[in-house]
Amino acid sequence: MYTQALDTAINANTTTVTVDSFQKTFLERIARDEKIEPQDAMPEAYRKTLVRQISQHAHSEIVGMLPEGGWITRAPSLKRKEILLAKVQDEGGHGLYLYSAAETLGVTRESLVDALHSGKAKYSSIFNYPTESWADIGIIGWLVDGAAIMNQVPLCRCSYGPYARAMIRICKEESFHQRQGFDIVRSLCEGTPAQKALAQDSVNRWWWPTLMMFGPHDSDSPNTEQATDWGIKRISNDDLRQKFVDVTVPQAKFLGLTLPDTAIAWNAERGHYDFGKIDWDEFWRVVKGDGPCNAERVADRVTAFDDGRWVREADAAHAAKVALRNAQVTATV
Amino acid sequence: MTVTELRLNVVSDATLLTLADTCLLWGHRLSEWCGHGPALEEDIALTNTALDVIGQARALLQLAAARRGDGATEDTLAYFREPDAFLNVMLAALPNGDYACTVARSFLLSAWFVPVWASLAQSADRPLAALAAEAVKESRMQLRHASDWVIRFGDGSDESRRRIDAAFAGLLPYCDELLGTPVDGTDQAARTLAWRATVQATFDTATLTQPISVVYDANLLNITASESRVTLLAEMQSLARQHPGAVW
Amino acid sequence: MSTPLAEAATPLFEVFVRSKQGLDHKHVGSLHASDARHALTLARDVYTRRQEGVSIWVVPSNAITASDPALKSDNFDPMASKVYRHPTFYDIPDEIGHM
Ligand SMILES: [Fe+2]
Ligand SMILES: [Fe+2]
Repeated sequence: MYTQALDTAINANTTTVTVDSFQKTFLERIARDEKIEPQDAMPEAYRKTLVRQISQHAHSEIVGMLPEGGWITRAPSLKRKEILLAKVQDEGGHGLYLYSAAETLGVTRESLVDALHSGKAKYSSIFNYPTESWADIGIIGWLVDGAAIMNQVPLCRCSYGPYARAMIRICKEESFHQRQGFDIVRSLCEGTPAQKALAQDSVNRWWWPTLMMFGPHDSDSPNTEQATDWGIKRISNDDLRQKFVDVTVPQAKFLGLTLPDTAIAWNAERGHYDFGKIDWDEFWRVVKGDGPCNAERVADRVTAFDDGRWVREADAAHAAKVALRNAQVTATV
Repeated sequence: MTVTELRLNVVSDATLLTLADTCLLWGHRLSEWCGHGPALEEDIALTNTALDVIGQARALLQLAAARRGDGATEDTLAYFREPDAFLNVMLAALPNGDYACTVARSFLLSAWFVPVWASLAQSADRPLAALAAEAVKESRMQLRHASDWVIRFGDGSDESRRRIDAAFAGLLPYCDELLGTPVDGTDQAARTLAWRATVQATFDTATLTQPISVVYDANLLNITASESRVTLLAEMQSLARQHPGAVW
Repeated sequence: MSTPLAEAATPLFEVFVRSKQGLDHKHVGSLHASDARHALTLARDVYTRRQEGVSIWVVPSNAITASDPALKSDNFDPMASKVYRHPTFYDIPDEIGHM
């Protein structure tokens, strides 16, 4: 919550207007590019959709700390160690900004985190893949953060003010993530044959899961239209995916890496790169919890949360003691 | 000025490495928390400490490497020295333990680093003095962060009290070595007094009653600390050593 | 697994950062902390990792009293007609120049 409206007056308008006209007015506001702020009246479905999307996004940032976090202690140079640590920390910050944005919609962070831990809430399927080598750290930054940025930039114009503001902050910070990843991959590609082989192996494993990050085809995304009308989604899944392929193919070429898709070819007619078919069975398997690391990731989060409980309780207990002492001092003065 | 006179104005390689290795191993331990902190806000805050300390280690190793002039770099010093060649204080290498242990270690080390950096900031060794002048600010923030938690744990819940007591009981024995560690051009006695005053003041606020000076078995501490260092370095150096000569 | 009983929520604070001397503090987001002192130190770590600020305020979120968005028109529309408050309302002859 940002604020608490204590001087809420009886709203003459909403008691007399019909639900239909309220929905219509609301959609008109969004069509005019007006921002919706926490205290504004909003359709319940809009609020729920936002809570789901923002919290899923927040969970993705937090769970996303884990696959890369596992390599901080093994980073092969001190410079890389520092950069990776700062990058993973940033992702934690993104999770925090997003939980804060979700909380403006009247939910608590505790309830959202609980949904993640119980398996009710989803997060980006990409983080259910293992990081097998140092090259994965580079490939994740280059491809996964690259894809995330492509997804996130349009959200800076999202109709919900707190979400849009969080995304602006996040996108600013993200720009270094992709660059540091590219920089790692580049150093591997320009390095020894063994290093180059690590990079190629990594891109082979991450390319398809990265394309899946943009979500199902538009034809299989029944909610896209509604999300578009609500100003939550600005560009369709397939359009974003195409854009990603178009910018990434030349980058791979520069690096001397082969993308694991023989169907990739420039299509002069469309003005885009063609690419092969995504294995949607794999996508749904991973989304539904059956990816290589789903159980491990959630267990990791639950352990950290459970291990931290006594710390949070001690923190609260101390704050309560201090508040009580301060109150006693005030009372005796 | 002759070369010998110039050398008089710089601290020894051993002093640089003592400080660098302590920061490096401690920073490595702190970095293990990233993504697993007790609360999201705290995770981010603790990682800031890790970044500060690793940054200090890098700056010191760069200085040491440049002065060695034998082709050494910060990375050859960090990744290709054997565990026995590291000059860290023992506290820095120990495993994290629970959050009380992590906080207690940070508290004891930063209470030492604040006076160390403060006096090195006045050093005739100009590059080191410049580095120390920045580092002392970071150490003061770390000390504040850690002592806040010591106070919260000591004067918090029953469980946190039990844990912070146990943490200090385990770590205070290592502090004799910390306080006895020589740092060129600084006053060890004055630093020890400052350290004791800081620790005692926080203990008082935290209502902790255990004595700061304790009896211990030096041999046992040595074994634990060097085993911890071997494990830590085996992980830290693993990838770099698989690819000798590689650029990252 | 986590216990089914939800923990008591840690208080929420709103964070305001002055990006440089001479500018206003600006709302940048929120965070959870046990008390104001703790919130302040955490805000430094969470919201100024890139030197975004020179000063921080934290305010308990529930201490903020906000105007009602439903009264937005009543509150603010009446000001639209007071055009004479704005300098552009007045014609100044060219010969006079800047005023
Ligand atoms: Fe992120
Ligand atoms: Fe990122």
